[in-house]
Amino acid sequence: MHQFAFQQGLSGELQSFPHIIELGAKKNQSIHLNSFPQSVSECIRIYYINEGKFEWKINDETYILYPGDVSLIMPNEKFGSEKGVLEIGSISWIHIRVPNHGNNELLSGKWSSLSETESQAINKVLSMSNMPVLSKLPEAGRILRYIHDEIFNQEIGYSTRVNQLIDELFIIITRHLTKQNNRARDFPKVFMQLEQALRQNLSQQWTVEEMAAIAGMGTTLFNEKVKSYTGFTPLNYLINIRISEAIKLLKKKDVSITDIALDTGFYSSQHFSTTFKKLTGYTPSEFRKNNLSLD
Amino acid sequence: MKCIITIELGTNAVRVFAFDLNGNVIGSQRGYYPTFHTAPDYSEQDPDQMFITMLYALKNLLNEHIHPKKYKVASICFSASMHSVLAVDKNGNPLGNAITWSDNRAKKEAQTLKSSSLGKTIYTATGTPLHPMSPLTKIAWIKNNDKERFKQTSKFLSIKSYIIKQLTDEYLIDYSIASATGLLNIHKIKWDSEALKFAGITPASLPDLVPVFTPLGKLKKAYQSSLGLSADTRIIIGSSDGCMAILGDGVKGEGRATITIEDSGAVRVMGDKVLKDVKQRFFNYLLTEDRYVSGGPTNNGGIIFEWFTKQFGDFKNPFDIEFSMQDLITEASKVSVGSEGLLFLPYLLGERAPIWNANAKGVYFGLNIKHERKHFIRATIEGILYEIYSIGKTLEENRGIKRLSVNGSFANIPFCTQMLADIFNKPVQLRQNFHSVSYGAFLVAATEMGIYKNLDEAAKTVVLPDEYLPDKQNHNTYMKYFKIFERLSTKLAPEFEEIANLQ
Repeated sequence: MHQFAFQQGLSGELQSFPHIIELGAKKNQSIHLNSFPQSVSECIRIYYINEGKFEWKINDETYILYPGDVSLIMPNEKFGSEKGVLEIGSISWIHIRVPNHGNNELLSGKWSSLSETESQAINKVLSMSNMPVLSKLPEAGRILRYIHDEIFNQEIGYSTRVNQLIDELFIIITRHLTKQNNRARDFPKVFMQLEQALRQNLSQQWTVEEMAAIAGMGTTLFNEKVKSYTGFTPLNYLINIRISEAIKLLKKKDVSITDIALDTGFYSSQHFSTTFKKLTGYTPSEFRKNNLSLD
Repeated sequence: MKCIITIELGTNAVRVFAFDLNGNVIGSQRGYYPTFHTAPDYSEQDPDQMFITMLYALKNLLNEHIHPKKYKVASICFSASMHSVLAVDKNGNPLGNAITWSDNRAKKEAQTLKSSSLGKTIYTATGTPLHPMSPLTKIAWIKNNDKERFKQTSKFLSIKSYIIKQLTDEYLIDYSIASATGLLNIHKIKWDSEALKFAGITPASLPDLVPVFTPLGKLKKAYQSSLGLSADTRIIIGSSDGCMAILGDGVKGEGRATITIEDSGAVRVMGDKVLKDVKQRFFNYLLTEDRYVSGGPTNNGGIIFEWFTKQFGDFKNPFDIEFSMQDLITEASKVSVGSEGLLFLPYLLGERAPIWNANAKGVYFGLNIKHERKHFIRATIEGILYEIYSIGKTLEENRGIKRLSVNGSFANIPFCTQMLADIFNKPVQLRQNFHSVSYGAFLVAATEMGIYKNLDEAAKTVVLPDEYLPDKQNHNTYMKYFKIFERLSTKLAPEFEEIANLQ
């Protein structure tokens, strides 16, 4: 394997790819002290194991990685080897710069040809994932090798191809993340995980694409399964959750109705009020008055 | 044209049906709500989400099937799962989530009570088995372990009582749901002072007791207008899902039993007397002042076959569990009766009736080198139904049962229905097309309106043909295996306990 390490600003090869902060491949045949200390970075860092067994710390948790595994380190996460030592073996990696305004826009760079909804869905899955290690994803290793080859060979169309490959890398990682823990058998379990994700991020706007991506399904199958399982479309089910959370908050005196609206994911207090009244027959302030009047 | 709407607040979902006055279904709508398991043994549901989901499902049904066809809703009748507990403060606001029937946190309270002489007295008075499912033990748990919540609680409600409170502003509980709390003296139809003492409460902490027919106060104005219902729509409190299921199958007295198998299951009979059992294996719930629904529940119904399918099904399409189950059943049907000697005890979730052993586990027994996957499939189904039979058999020692009616998604699978007929050696009647629970609620509402003179008359109108006849030879084969099944279920008790402690 060809060994190399390009760094943005130092290596001319990366000049036309300002979003690639680092790109490299390494075959480690002996152990050096302090060659792989724990560090924090603003990039998304992706490592792929070609050979060997690596014990890494990601956000203070220990993970053991084997050939074919990928580690995905999100911005500001601590990553490295506990003793600072890189084990014997062979790895390749890429570090991608992400815009630093809000974690909703990880991949919004001009280089990406993902559509807005797709990139939002990928962002959501990546930023909500708490599984930094993806097992058995050899496709990621192949894509990293193609990226290396493209940058070395600089054949016609290579800059387009490199960016497409990065997009593809994120797509396969996202798909793998959502499918890692389910074998497409237990829909109730998948739905329960989705429900938790929605509740934990209720103030966010959600599209069906994003919900389907979290569930690891295509939107057609997702719509059909949710409808038959819950009796509601995905967006209507989400309204159920938003309103029932809002009801709890309305019973607390000290939260303003505008805050409740935004906390539970409505665009505005007007939008909240209309939806709430349509379903419950009361405006939020009437509802609040009725439930606090006994105090 | 008038119609009747029934609302069933079930374990996983609310089901809303609309019937015309002849009992034909006009439309239906379901709405799922989640169960939260925040700690081992905990099963909770959010009462406000249940309420909103119910409103939403009801509204969709009205807008799609009722208002466009110019039906006028004459009454709305409720049914609900039994054994739920929701603590509310003096303003009626929930203190935490509702604790559902499958919650087992009150294990210790149940065990203490069951092994005391007070337990025997309370079971005889209340008819509810002493088990963590019963609100009696759940409230005692809150008293012992969540003192702050206990102190703040103004009332302990059932889920249905909470929903009714939202709609009409009254705190009420019907005889059926009340008779499943372990707090009601079912002979006197009054709260039982000894049970209440054990729970640490007074009658003031409970909703008011009313018969299942009771029409409630008016629907609040806001709901009249948001749902498009008139002020004279009658709201009927109704009964529990268990009592409605047997009523909906037209069972009214001796000679018939109803088998319900969804995720969990039950075998029930109805009569004008309580079923007495020194071993405390049966429940006795009230439908009306003089109608008792007696029987035994199982934890391990269709949910066990679902578990099996998730592990061993083929899943040619993602998440297609229905198809995968169908495939497995086709394969099971190729194996001869008795699975060539492979036997399955289905107690993956512990078991209630008749062995009442929370530590019971699943067992495959009798495996030999010739057994294949298909034998496991058939043995699994046979095991689930042997358990149903073991409840039926203990009931039969007290009541003559000539025929069965079955309902519920697992029992309704034709392969399973036939197997039930063979194992019980009795003809089985089947309600096609719709849910027995909702039809029971229709009969209650229609009786309240005066369409039927009383519930017996109403039940008489349900005529179910004998659709599955037993095969005597199959029955004999099943019985040879059932004997072993029955013995193993009790014989293994020490080993169940030992392994439960290791898990």
